[in-house]
Amino acid sequence: MPDRIIRVQYYALLREQAGRSDETLTTSARDARELYMELSQRYAFTLPAEMLRVAINAEFGEWSQPLEAGDAVVFIPPVAGG
Amino acid sequence: MNAFRFSTAPLDTASLQREMRDVTCGGFAAFEGWVRNHNEGLAVTRLEYEAFAELAEKEGARIVQEAIARFGVTRAGCVHRIGSLALGEVAVWVGVSAAHRDEAFRACRYIIDEVKHRVPIWKKEHYENGDSGWVNCERCAAPAAHHEEYAAPAAHERDYAAPVNYLHEHAHAHDHDHDHDHEIPSVAAPDYSRQIALREVGPEGQARLRAASVLVVGAGGLGVPVLQYLAGAGVGRIGIVDADRLEPSNLHRQTWYALADCGLEKSTLAAERVRALNPEVRVEPHALHLDANNADRLAAGHDLILDCSDNFATKFLLNDLALRTRKPVLFASVYQYEGQLQVVRGDEATACLRCVWPEATRDGLVGNCAEAGVLGPVPGVFGSLQALEALKLLLGLPGLEPGEMLIFDLVSLNTQRLRARRTPDCDAHRRAGQSAATLSPLELEVQFGSLAEAQAAGFTFVDVRDSRERADDPLPSLALCLPMSKLLTDAAMLDTGGRYLLICATGKRSAAAADLLRSQGFRECRSLRGGIKGLKASA
Repeated sequence: MPDRIIRVQYYALLREQAGRSDETLTTSARDARELYMELSQRYAFTLPAEMLRVAINAEFGEWSQPLEAGDAVVFIPPVAGG
Repeated sequence: MNAFRFSTAPLDTASLQREMRDVTCGGFAAFEGWVRNHNEGLAVTRLEYEAFAELAEKEGARIVQEAIARFGVTRAGCVHRIGSLALGEVAVWVGVSAAHRDEAFRACRYIIDEVKHRVPIWKKEHYENGDSGWVNCERCAAPAAHHEEYAAPAAHERDYAAPVNYLHEHAHAHDHDHDHDHEIPSVAAPDYSRQIALREVGPEGQARLRAASVLVVGAGGLGVPVLQYLAGAGVGRIGIVDADRLEPSNLHRQTWYALADCGLEKSTLAAERVRALNPEVRVEPHALHLDANNADRLAAGHDLILDCSDNFATKFLLNDLALRTRKPVLFASVYQYEGQLQVVRGDEATACLRCVWPEATRDGLVGNCAEAGVLGPVPGVFGSLQALEALKLLLGLPGLEPGEMLIFDLVSLNTQRLRARRTPDCDAHRRAGQSAATLSPLELEVQFGSLAEAQAAGFTFVDVRDSRERADDPLPSLALCLPMSKLLTDAAMLDTGGRYLLICATGKRSAAAADLLRSQGFRECRSLRGGIKGLKASA
């Protein structure tokens, strides 16, 4: 799979663990799940993908959704504070 | 004079006028309603007025205060006759004095319109042929915005087009009588003029807010701004659910409360603050944790629910409630410097919280405010957004789409609007679908201890009894009359989105009528459980 440039945003616990709220990166991940696995290793994310939602280009998507160059990917953990 | 009062004796209008004199005033306007000799083709010989005095005096005084606050007039008063009146007698008198004539005219018009509309006074006509009948319930008790619905002169007063107006443009001092007891309280009345000035709000929008009933679950970081803005906006009824007591660590984000309040129940504190901010709001505090056993009871009678809680258990309970009852729930949640906002409409087609969040989501997974920390204004921003979305929803303005999630990171100031789809295998939707059939009859009926309570909940009354029953046992409040025999032919007089409480003698016919009207698209129709008999039993 050729490398593609993807824009990623992190929220809540993921933002804390990644130490940033967004970044543009080059990845060979084919789908959202592979991208999250790759980033989990890099940043030692403690939340499994099953606990999160991924949104691709402003729409909640599936983990198996293939990624394309230029996609904007957002990882969102549920939050409940009030 | 008293702001509003009843009189059993004939009105001495010259003396009433003297009570309105004030050297600072350059204009005086008055309206008199007179007993007319005919109504709807029948010759009338006399009539009787009766009032539900306790409620009527309060509402009348409120109207006069509203007029003073709204139009900036100096003095205003209204006197309504009760008892037996002969033809030509003055039935109602309104007087207003102000610095200038324009506000005097407007306040006078406002008072008479609102009094005829909102104050529970009803009257019995005596006809030349010996018959008699109660007629006032033919009047409409719709909110103030629908002036055209009652401007038609159905009863005995002369047409509004010919008011008796006196105007004295006197800028100079002259002999004034200072003996009158001018008892208008010094506390200001709520004034919504700044939001009514918005084209999208207007008097009609204000009436909608007044008729609305919102349940706020959580009176903490999100709940505080939500309650402040909903109360400020004049939402008619607000329920507050919070079992917690105030702690010093809450105060950096819950700045409505005081350090001295620590240890007290937040629901009670919040209700006190709401009352102080806007006494027109009917506020109901519940010092309870929302749970599966009490959720339906707490939500009963509310049109909209705001989730200002800090835990997933409550959020998912409210999500299920939305799906069961089709009441929209506006969710907000914060985390450190960011938060999420989402609206669940509870219908079959749009996403719910479970369509977005997996079943495994539960508390303890990600931190709450205590564990993860939060900057004070963060819940302030999200609570304000939640109040804004709530008001837009009540006013019918565009906003967050059902299922859509707004994410706002207050560090980078980035916002995201993410669309969520209804998940085909959503468990919450499936469960709600199974229970919908058994729950809908519960929703059809609603119980109140008194009509005043129902009125405060924003209901417009619809009496479905026939004319004979109405005459024998008149409803002590204004109501539309829609007998069962005319239910479908005359249903056009109702607004499909209107909040109607159908009333009959025992609650059986009204339940059937509500069911029938619902099937015709009147989705907000409800039936008074137990009917008039039930009300009498609880009184």
